[in-house]
Amino acid sequence: MGLGLAGYLVRRLLWAVPVLIAVSMLVFLALRFTPGDPVDTLLGNRYDEELAAQLRARYGYDQPIPVQYVKYVQNLLQGDLGVSTKHVDFSVAEVILPKIRVSAAMGIMAVVVGFGLGIPIGVFAARRRGSFLDPLTIGSWLLLDSIPVFVVVPWAMWLFALTLGWVNLSYGGVFHPNIILPVLLISLPGVAGVARIMRASIIQVMGEDYLRTARAKGLREWTVVTRHLMRNALLPMITVIGLALPGIFAGALFTELLFGIPGVGREYLEALLARDYDVVLALVLFGSALFVFANIAVDMAYGFIDPRVRVGAARETG
Amino acid sequence: MAMRVDSIETGALEQARPRRLQLLRQLARKKIAIVALVWIVIFYGAGFFAPLVAPHDPNRQELSVEARLQSPSGEHLLGTDRLGRDILSRVIYAARTTMLFTLIVTLSGSLFVGLGLGLLAGYRGGWVDAAIMRVGEVLAGIPGLLIILAISAAFRPRINDAAFWLKDNSFLGDDARPIVFFLVIVAATILFSWVGSARIVRSQVLAIREQEYVLAAEALGASTWRLLLRHVLPGVLPIFLVGLSGGMAGIAGTEMALSWLGLGVDPSTPSFGSLLFEARGVRTFQEFPHLLLGAGIPVVLFFFAWNLLGDALVDLAEPRTRGR
Repeated sequence: MGLGLAGYLVRRLLWAVPVLIAVSMLVFLALRFTPGDPVDTLLGNRYDEELAAQLRARYGYDQPIPVQYVKYVQNLLQGDLGVSTKHVDFSVAEVILPKIRVSAAMGIMAVVVGFGLGIPIGVFAARRRGSFLDPLTIGSWLLLDSIPVFVVVPWAMWLFALTLGWVNLSYGGVFHPNIILPVLLISLPGVAGVARIMRASIIQVMGEDYLRTARAKGLREWTVVTRHLMRNALLPMITVIGLALPGIFAGALFTELLFGIPGVGREYLEALLARDYDVVLALVLFGSALFVFANIAVDMAYGFIDPRVRVGAARETG
Repeated sequence: MAMRVDSIETGALEQARPRRLQLLRQLARKKIAIVALVWIVIFYGAGFFAPLVAPHDPNRQELSVEARLQSPSGEHLLGTDRLGRDILSRVIYAARTTMLFTLIVTLSGSLFVGLGLGLLAGYRGGWVDAAIMRVGEVLAGIPGLLIILAISAAFRPRINDAAFWLKDNSFLGDDARPIVFFLVIVAATILFSWVGSARIVRSQVLAIREQEYVLAAEALGASTWRLLLRHVLPGVLPIFLVGLSGGMAGIAGTEMALSWLGLGVDPSTPSFGSLLFEARGVRTFQEFPHLLLGAGIPVVLFFFAWNLLGDALVDLAEPRTRGR
């Protein structure tokens, strides 16, 4: 531990700042430099020059673009994300926080299902390597991974809701049983990915010398599997879990649209189409920050769990 | 001098050629990979020869009640959609869109930009390497689809203006709009697609440039570009192709996702995204399942084929995880 890890953490966190500035500038400019602004969308058919000018002055859209950007960043640093123009008189935080809560709950459930199924399937495939069961398991999960959400959702809705009558399609909140179907559909492609990586990881560890040593010194098979095999084989899962969370967050867009779930994906698309500048920017920054910090968290977790990659370890021992 | 450089060149090629052939020969032994490859060839072939293969004009509408939403029949093998258009023809033209999109994005993004920047970063090192890799890190660290969506949505009105201008002032005529729409999503996808291949290529270059034959060619005074193209590139290629095949499904999926949301290709261009969007309703599926199945099954098989092929190639490239 010590200075090495802390210094590394500080460097990585500092590096996140230019990344987020670059993203915010890119999206800010893309939104501002194109014709049509939130005021046009807001007024629609009742467009009136005088009223539009008033509204633009109120939101600050009459200022030069660099001034608008600096003002945006200033407000952002004080924790003010701006106001929504689509949801009139609501602040961005009031608009996106409930959506984030819904998406986060669904994302966590999907990750739990994905890993809960993916890890055992990967282990199973690895243990049956060489028999026909291994390619069959991996192959069938590769097939599931190949089905886009917008193909499987109408079919699954038809099968489970209309034909079998097991579920109801209306959205009744995140903790309502109706959420089961969308959560399962989001997590299935993840299961395939997790199973593949788990299988490869187990096969690699099974070839290591320390496993042969453990068996040779007469440890019980259970101890070998839990202490030596699984512990090492699960290491790559840290990366997968860390990177899957933000991915599921952004990837649930189609499921949210098809099931009518009020999550961030749907809000993002609606804000884009309504040119709701501040909501779009807030969601892009939120998504990017999740990605960046998940990456850092993964690297730090490795430092804690696997001493071989501990940053600055050489300085301590040597 | 020139002769000597030439002889070293053939030496390098001789070393590279068996490696490439070996990969192909091993691939041929995997039956599943061959089946996958055959489907990919059929898919791309149908797209390439769309005007010859398609039985009907994909955009010809027939609005009479009998002509609309027909179930599959001898005349329309996959039935017709809400506007009486032949679905098989639309699927074949959608395969053309997928073919053009994946080819242009991989050729320009992964091959030209990714391979080029990867070679440059790995070979030059120093600040060139640092700059390229930092930019790549920024792009890899953010959710690509969200940004591509934002770019596509934000530029849409401006694209319309540009398309009208091109229509009046260039030889493109009525094709201007679809072409400009297509190029915008291509550009937005390329922005994110080069990073993966650049990283793979760079790490390979770092290993290869230490080989004796590269040092020898360098000592003989071969130019940087000659070195990269004739000596380093052949060694990088196999791993690069493995990475490429793994990314193809994702690139094709980006276009379909954007078109599904109405932010992709021009509505007049058939795309699997818009075909599947029209088939999205659960009641629609109950009454007219051919809408979803006709477009969905080719797409699923296409993704499945790329996944299987990518999986087989990774297995060959990393023999450690291969079944014994």
